[in-house]
This record gives sequence, C-alpha cells and structure tokens, in this order.
Amino acid sequence: MKRVTRREFLRTSAATAGLGALGSIGALAGCAPVTKGDLAPKSGRRVVVIGGGWGGATAAKYVRLSDPTIEVILLEPNRSFVSCPFSNLVLSGVESIGSLTHGYEGLRRHGVRIRHEAATAIEPDRSRVRIRDGYVEYDRLVVAPGVDFVWEQVDGVAGREGEIVHAWKAGPQTVELARRIQALPDGGTVLMTVPPVAYRCPPGPYERACQIAWYLKTRKPRARLVVLDANNDVVSKTGLFKAAFREYPNLEYRPTSRLERVDLAAREVTPVIGDRVRYDVLNLIPPQRAGQIAVQSELVGADRRWCEVNHLTYESVKQRNVHVIGDATIGLPVPKSGNVANAMGKICATAVVQALNGKEPPALAPGNTCYSWVNDREAIAVVNAYKVENGKVVQIEQKLTPRAAASVAQNSIGWRTSIWSDILG
Amino acid sequence: VAGPLDGPGAQKALVCSACHGFGGQSPSDTMPILAGMLPAYFKKAISDYASGRRPSPEMEPYAKMALQFGVDEIAAYFAAQTRRPTPIRVDAAAAERGRAASAQCVLCHGRDGKGDPAKLIPDLAGQPPGYLRSQMLLFRQDLRSPGDETLKALKALMRTLPEETLADLAAYYASLR
Repeated sequence: MKRVTRREFLRTSAATAGLGALGSIGALAGCAPVTKGDLAPKSGRRVVVIGGGWGGATAAKYVRLSDPTIEVILLEPNRSFVSCPFSNLVLSGVESIGSLTHGYEGLRRHGVRIRHEAATAIEPDRSRVRIRDGYVEYDRLVVAPGVDFVWEQVDGVAGREGEIVHAWKAGPQTVELARRIQALPDGGTVLMTVPPVAYRCPPGPYERACQIAWYLKTRKPRARLVVLDANNDVVSKTGLFKAAFREYPNLEYRPTSRLERVDLAAREVTPVIGDRVRYDVLNLIPPQRAGQIAVQSELVGADRRWCEVNHLTYESVKQRNVHVIGDATIGLPVPKSGNVANAMGKICATAVVQALNGKEPPALAPGNTCYSWVNDREAIAVVNAYKVENGKVVQIEQKLTPRAAASVAQNSIGWRTSIWSDILG
Repeated sequence: VAGPLDGPGAQKALVCSACHGFGGQSPSDTMPILAGMLPAYFKKAISDYASGRRPSPEMEPYAKMALQFGVDEIAAYFAAQTRRPTPIRVDAAAAERGRAASAQCVLCHGRDGKGDPAKLIPDLAGQPPGYLRSQMLLFRQDLRSPGDETLKALKALMRTLPEETLADLAAYYASLR
C-alpha cells in the first residue's frame, strides 16, 4: 500500500475539486486520465524509457523480451515513428513519407506501456520522471532523447527558429522541405548548410545533397544546389561522396564554410570564408546537442552538449541508475547512427535486466551499418565493427563499399525491413 | 527467471538481429535466415566472410566481430532456433519455372532443398529469394569461394543458366517448406 504524503493528498484533492467544478464526477472513479501525483503506481520492478526513437523503442522492446516480469513504460509524445534513415529520399520523390512511418502497436504486443507524453524533468534522487504535474517512478531509467538544436550558434535566426526548415527530424519538416524544393522555380538556388561535428548521422547531409542535386538535375536542369559545410571536408564516406558529387554539375560544394550570419529577410547566408549566397530555398541544419531533457537534467558533460556513459551498461557517468543511449551519447568511437542506437538499445536493455536481477552485465559492443543513396537507384555503405577492450568499446574495422551500386541499394532495403522490425516489430 | 536472452550466445547474437531478425528469423529479402542453421556451416560462413572468400562489405567487419566475441556460442544459439520460412512472397509461376529448372540442384540439395549436413551442403528451403539470387550471382562470377574445387561444377552450371532462371530457382527454393 502506498503512503500518501500530506502534500500529495492536498494536491490530489485540489485536482479532484477542480475537476468536480467542471462537473466531471467520473474523475473520482478514475475514468478521466490522472494528470497529478503518481500517474502509474508501481507494483513490481519497472524500467522507464524516455524517447521512442531508434534507441529507446529498441530498449523498451528488449527489456520485455529479456525479462517479461519487468514492467516497461515508454514516454514518447509522437503517435507514430518516422524513420530518419531514408527520409532524404522523400526530398527527391524516390520515397514517400508514408512508407517510412510506423505505429507503436508492435511494442504494445510486447507489453510495453506507452504514454504519448513528454517527460518534463528527471528526479534521480527520488527515482522518478516528471510528466507535467504528475510523475512515474522507476527502478532504472533509459534516456534516449535524440538531439536538439543549438540555435544560439546561428546568428540571425533568434526568435524566428520556427521559420527554419531543418528536416533533421523526419516528419512534417521533411514534407515541408520536399514541398519547397518542388515549388522552386527552374533556375533557382537551394542552399543547404552542414553543421560542425558532432551531429546526428554524419553522412546524412551528403546523402541529402545527392538526393536534392539528383532531383534538380532531373526536374529543374537550370536550378542549382549550394552546400556550405562547416567542416573542412566531407565528414563520412568522403571519397565515395566526392565521386558521387562529380555526377552533379549543378552541385556546388564549399567546405570550411561555417555560417557567420543568416539574413532571412534578404534570403542570404554569409559564410565566414567566401562569398555570400542568395537562396530561394534554405535548408539549414543547425548545430546539435543531446535532447533537451538530458541537458536540463545535467546528464551532459562539461561541453553542455553530450552525455558520457559507461561503455558496457550505458549508465550515465553522472547519475546512478540512469542510462543514456543513442545520438545523445559521446565517448564511444561510434557514429551517431540509427543502427548504433538500435545496438545500444539492445545492449543497454540486457545490462539493465541483468542489474535488476543482481547479475553482471555482459561485455558487448555495438555495430554500425550505414547506407547512403547517391541517386534514385544506387547506394554506398560503410560498416564498422567493434569489440570491448579493458571495459571500453574500440573499433575492430571499418569497411566501405568499393563504389556506388544498385546491389548496395537493394541491401539497404533489406536492412531497413529488418531493422524496423527489430525496433518496433 | 530465465528469459529468451539468457545465455551468452543469445546476448552475443544481439547485434545480428538488426539485419538477421530476432532469433535469426530474417524478415527481409536480402538477409539470410540464420535460425536453425547448421553450426559448422555458420562457422564456415563467418570464417569465409572474415577472410574475404565470401565478399561482403557488410559481413566482413561483422564476421570479425563474431570471431572476437565467440563464434561457437553464436553458432549454437542460431542452430537452436526453429527456422520459420521467409515471409517474402514469391510469384507462383516463377517458383514453378524454378522447380522445372532444378533437376541438377536436387543432386546435392535434395528433393526437399534441405541439403546434406554431413557434406556442409546448406538447407535452402524457405531462405529469402533475394539472398539466394545474390549468392548464385556471386558463384557464377567466382567471387564466392574462388578456386574451391568442390564448387567447380556448381559454378559451371550457374554460368550456363540465364539470369532469369537464377531468379526462378531463387523463387522456387524460397517457396519450399
């Protein structure tokens, strides 16, 4: 039986009174959703997962697979999962957003309790996660918050962030960028900016450049794409992307071109080096850090951006019983990719279940398989394998495909079928 | 409580499920089903991928990872899973043409396509068609197990068959139960 403190009693009473005033007597019988106090009183062992993306959804499923006696609550505001991998192909019309959108019913079949709400704060001292005025308690917490944007580093957009189309979280932003590119007059300019490392999906901007350039070359032969890259060279699959860029005379790639200023009214971007660019469509991919909940909960390190974790358990080095997985992490020699987040989700779930059962975690390492489409039918890939050495994840090998090929694109379709099923099925 | 992921093999195989499905039940067209695979065949495949005798940019790094983590336990885990046939649907007419073209295949793989464990001849029944087709193309170009005397006749046969027939054979073996 749970003891109700005086303060909680007063708060609950006040809530009931408020609802009563609206004539909702049903709230007394528990028919209306509870929004204050303990939102889901805990009877056994429980893992709470914040974030239902590639890492979090996988972790939620695999905790249930490993030990069905452990309750899992997943907090994810979105009602559907939209895959970031393959979303660049929506910009070229090769894919539709619908084909990348999935429901969470598979997780429910595994007994995951999903609340389509955002975690608003973490209270590690009380082992609970706040959801607005209420909270849920946990024995172990898995935080998979993805990334958020560091708008302060983009001069000229303060107060107008909502006008920027980043399309770096797949969904309505992706559809909007596709719409703007389709509406571009032939002869117009699309400007895309690449943030400085570290950011989500290292090859993503370059795959996007290929997809936009392919679309323009095919549909608007007089239009051009300018890519301003804050980094000194293509960050990932460098040689393969540069070979792909040679197929696009309409693509102007400018490295070492960090943004100095964005002028939304004049439709101009000024890089620190080189000429100012006037655009018709802007795709600004902002600098990134761990998702907001990780930053405000002090899970980030001295850089205020990313979360350092134990390499075997993904437990935060800053908070006991709180694990962080996916793009929000730093310190492992792995890219911020969906495949890595999926692997971290499984390894973390195993470590959490072992810990709750009083056992040592196994020494497992993630793997990375990463495909990029360079036109409407050919892809390139990079694969990284890792091992554990002295408690740390180290790379064994990195392998690239020799060239762009349709067979690699076919493999990527196989990969997505499998991994979406591993995450959500 | 013993869960399905207890045991070192299951945990070491976790990374594999991204492509090969939970328990090795691949849902995709291009990734082979590992569930129920003969351990000796699995280990030969891993060894060949690691050495490049089976060329695959995807599998070469992962094979080295499997060798690091303990291929015996991973092989035993997949062998212990009951194989379910691929969920990829094939065209019935293609499968029928494949059956008609399979006269030579059955000499080694058997009438049921289940192979011969004693000779490390693999069970093809119910494997995804895209995977079967890609392997036939690798054999035909002598990219898989180059120079292997025991595969000489098989590769010669593949070279006599048009690509459409290879696709029909893949459909046929994928449809076998």
